[in-house]
Amino acid sequence: MAKIVVLGAGISGHVAASHLRRKLPKEHEVVVVSPNSNYQWIPSNIWVGIGRMKSEKILFPLAPLYKRKHIGYKQAKAVSFYPEGDQNEQKPYVLAEYVFGEQKGQQEKITYDYLINATGPKLNFEATEGLIPGKNKTYSVCTYTHADHAWEGLKALIEQMKQGKKARILIGTGHAKATCQGAAFEYILNVEEELRKHKVRDMAEVTWISNEYQLGDFGMDGMLLSYGSMTMKSHEMIEMIFEDRDIKWILGAGVNKIEDGVAHYENLEGEQKSELYDFAMLIPSFSGHGFKAFNKNENDITEKLFKGFMIVDANYTPKPYEEWSVQDWPETYQNPTYKNIFAPGIAFAPPHSISKPRKSKNGTEIFPAPPRTGMPSGITAKLVAENIIDTIKNGQESLSHKGSMGNMGAACIASAGFGMTTGSGVSITTYPIVPDYEKYPETQGRKLGKTFGEIGLAGHWLKLALHHAFIYKAKMRPFWWLIPE
Amino acid sequence: MTQRISKYQRFKMMNPIIQFFKFIYLSIKIMVIVAGGHGGTRKIN
Ligand SMILES: Cc1cc2nc3c(=O)[nH]c(=O)nc-3n(C[C@H](O)[C@H](O)[C@H](O)COP(=O)(O)OP(=O)(O)OC[C@H]3O[C@@H](n4cnc5c(N)ncnc54)[C@H](O)[C@@H]3O)c2cc1C
Repeated sequence: MAKIVVLGAGISGHVAASHLRRKLPKEHEVVVVSPNSNYQWIPSNIWVGIGRMKSEKILFPLAPLYKRKHIGYKQAKAVSFYPEGDQNEQKPYVLAEYVFGEQKGQQEKITYDYLINATGPKLNFEATEGLIPGKNKTYSVCTYTHADHAWEGLKALIEQMKQGKKARILIGTGHAKATCQGAAFEYILNVEEELRKHKVRDMAEVTWISNEYQLGDFGMDGMLLSYGSMTMKSHEMIEMIFEDRDIKWILGAGVNKIEDGVAHYENLEGEQKSELYDFAMLIPSFSGHGFKAFNKNENDITEKLFKGFMIVDANYTPKPYEEWSVQDWPETYQNPTYKNIFAPGIAFAPPHSISKPRKSKNGTEIFPAPPRTGMPSGITAKLVAENIIDTIKNGQESLSHKGSMGNMGAACIASAGFGMTTGSGVSITTYPIVPDYEKYPETQGRKLGKTFGEIGLAGHWLKLALHHAFIYKAKMRPFWWLIPE
Repeated sequence: MTQRISKYQRFKMMNPIIQFFKFIYLSIKIMVIVAGGHGGTRKIN
């Protein structure tokens, strides 16, 4: 009998737990440890943040589902890792602290045979002084509660604009090394469209601020893509959209301090600048959770497990951008020291960024960290689950399921406005996510045709269809596994 | 504001009938790209 502990019930943790449970006989135990009581479909937070979707529509409680499906569930947060056990506990374990109910504050040693660390990112607001969701007129849409607050703030501003107030809206990244530009991009287009719907567009100046060197970088070094019968660069496509929507942009900006209505930033020229706003949504930097790890003798072995995020089968040798290779990226998400520990989704430490690293004249690094969107998070979680299932069934280590981000496609269906007949979406797919310059030397490391962009109403329907399909899948309704990650 | 998307392009982007077919086309295309498999990139000796 094996016990698999999954840390985190976000996209990757939940995908891993549900596949493990479906394919493993009941004598094996699957336990999810996560501080959140609800599953949330994060991509739809964008619509919560413009008041077009209630947050209840994007979440459901985990406990009843896990009970029905015989998945153990502890509403707790992992604190530290003991991959060799300790003097009193033979088995490897994770020390977790309950965050809810009668056990709140209590710690428990949760032993495991296999551990999946799917704890995603820490939303590191503290890395930017004054960047606090709901304070200083800055908001976030990274969780449904943040998105609810963002809508309250935006709604209040729209009301003031209806009374004649001219407003400045600033959306983008709130740190020099932030990622998730795609989410901010969706939000700016949705906010802009909402202003039109509320007939106050002419009262607002809408500005994109980002650590990207060029528009459309999205933390993926931009891309060359097919657009209709043309081939264009992603920055040309996004520039076209922004100009058409009268959205201004500030690039190469490392936001380093927020005061009430003022965003201070350094640009690649090394200049300190500031931008005034009445409403801002700035994505914070993402970091690891600061977990500690200890060996049997309780000596600190954190560096064997973590490099910010969790160490997996990537090539972490530092090297210049020109020498980066697609082979640096992990394939099985297995920790090289403790082979029964895996980290899919955002929880794994990437070998390096995907975008070209850039420094300001003062030496400040200003460039996007690599994104790991929902699709690769789901795919990597499923392949980790499949390898564990095979290993248990075969009685020996099996790592036949592989999925490098350099050999995987991803779709980013960015909402550009909500409405069954008036909505819009920018659909972009990239193949592969991490450019492979050996395979596709002439097309910036990506396969044209499989890397394409589309704009229009169909994109909105697609995003809505994905919302329903993925919530159906997450609820593990009949034949849920037929829906791909 | 600079009109970068022409009226005709916009009409095509927002016409529900054209977009219905685009929706079917995009769904299949995305499915093929994303669900079309993934794997490693390293050569096995
Ligand atoms: C606003 C927004 C919009 C987005 N839109 C899209 C989109 O349109 N398409 C797309 O593909 N991707 C999108 N993404 C990205 C996508 O949401 C992420 O890629 C995905 O959520 C990553 O999954 P994950 O499971 O690795 O991390 P998460 O979803 O963040 O899950 C992490 C889990 O770990 C838990 N956890 C945290 N700390 C601990 C601890 N100490 N112990 C145990 N558990 C812990 C958390 O509670 C959570 O359940 C968007 C992201 C944002 C913020």
